[in-house]
Amino acid sequence: MRDAGPWIAKANPEYLALIDQEHIVTKTYGLVNVPTGVWINEQGKIVRPPEVAYVDERYRNLTGIDPKPYLNAIRDWVANGDMSIYVMSEDKLRAKLTPASPDRLMADAEFTLAEYMYHQGHGQEAIAHFKESQRLAPDNWNYKRQAYLFSTNPDRDYGTDFAKEVQKLNGKPYYAPVDLPPAPAGANPQPAKQEP
Amino acid sequence: MRLIQRIAMIGAGLGLLLWPVASMAMDAQHPTIIYEGTATTLDSASPFANSADLWVTLADLTRATGFELKPQGVCRKEACYPLPKKTRSEFLAKQGSVEWFNLSAFARLLHQASARDAQFDYWYFGPQPVAQNDFLSTLDAPDFTLPDATGKMHSLSDYRGKKVLLITWASW
Repeated sequence: MRDAGPWIAKANPEYLALIDQEHIVTKTYGLVNVPTGVWINEQGKIVRPPEVAYVDERYRNLTGIDPKPYLNAIRDWVANGDMSIYVMSEDKLRAKLTPASPDRLMADAEFTLAEYMYHQGHGQEAIAHFKESQRLAPDNWNYKRQAYLFSTNPDRDYGTDFAKEVQKLNGKPYYAPVDLPPAPAGANPQPAKQEP
Repeated sequence: MRLIQRIAMIGAGLGLLLWPVASMAMDAQHPTIIYEGTATTLDSASPFANSADLWVTLADLTRATGFELKPQGVCRKEACYPLPKKTRSEFLAKQGSVEWFNLSAFARLLHQASARDAQFDYWYFGPQPVAQNDFLSTLDAPDFTLPDATGKMHSLSDYRGKKVLLITWASW
């Protein structure tokens, strides 16, 4: 509330903004980075898996991500619902939604214990558990960045910081590319044609 | 018509301590269990000092997890987990008149990940994989309940009947 609250107040969004201090959504949906988007239809079904979800030009100079394709896909989904070409097939979704591995579940456990200890005033002692979560889930940027933020000196406590970790990628993408079908020629979101 | 019908944004960041604590006393000598988001300091400490597992009294088992030992197994609401007969002693041990239950062994039976901090005697038990992975076959978006900036709670299931674009961001 203390950290996310002011951002929400300043943005004063029309959409609902919730606060997830315990990273419940991260653990439940297997998220590893921000911003991540998931599409859920009217029946409560996932129709697009977790993927990078920029909807404006922020950080484009750093990420190289053009937000327009994803934003256009959202608009098409709003207009066409389950008929949208951007709604992913069930087979493809199941291929992309990977089961939580034992290592990932252990990483979740170590991270959750570490957060609990931090909030109990044992931040220094929590570091070992944050480190273990990072060892078990090295691709989880949320676990790294949250731990670094809790630390007063990530270099001292973790031997690294966010900038150094990004440099270690050495040209590999920070985000997995979004798997969108190509937009139809001259595309603007149009309602799907009705069957006669 | 608004193009975006509904967006739920989750901000993951620092906040006030919100862990519900069933027991207010943080006794350094008694273990604290974090089970399904609830932290409970046990009334009794295990007499099995050399065990790497967490042994709890049956009363503490129920307080901390909601599970009860019944003739048919370890039960909570409609779900009962029979204890394997051949290895029952792995789960239950008696010392004097007190029966102790091995919560760590039960977690292994349920394939729950667990983490422990020996210094503070904290024990965390994670969700069962079946609960974690069930949505992979059904594609039902797992429900969750979180507060908005005013503290009012909202659930994903509140928005059934509408499209939900779930986006996570963070203050870092």
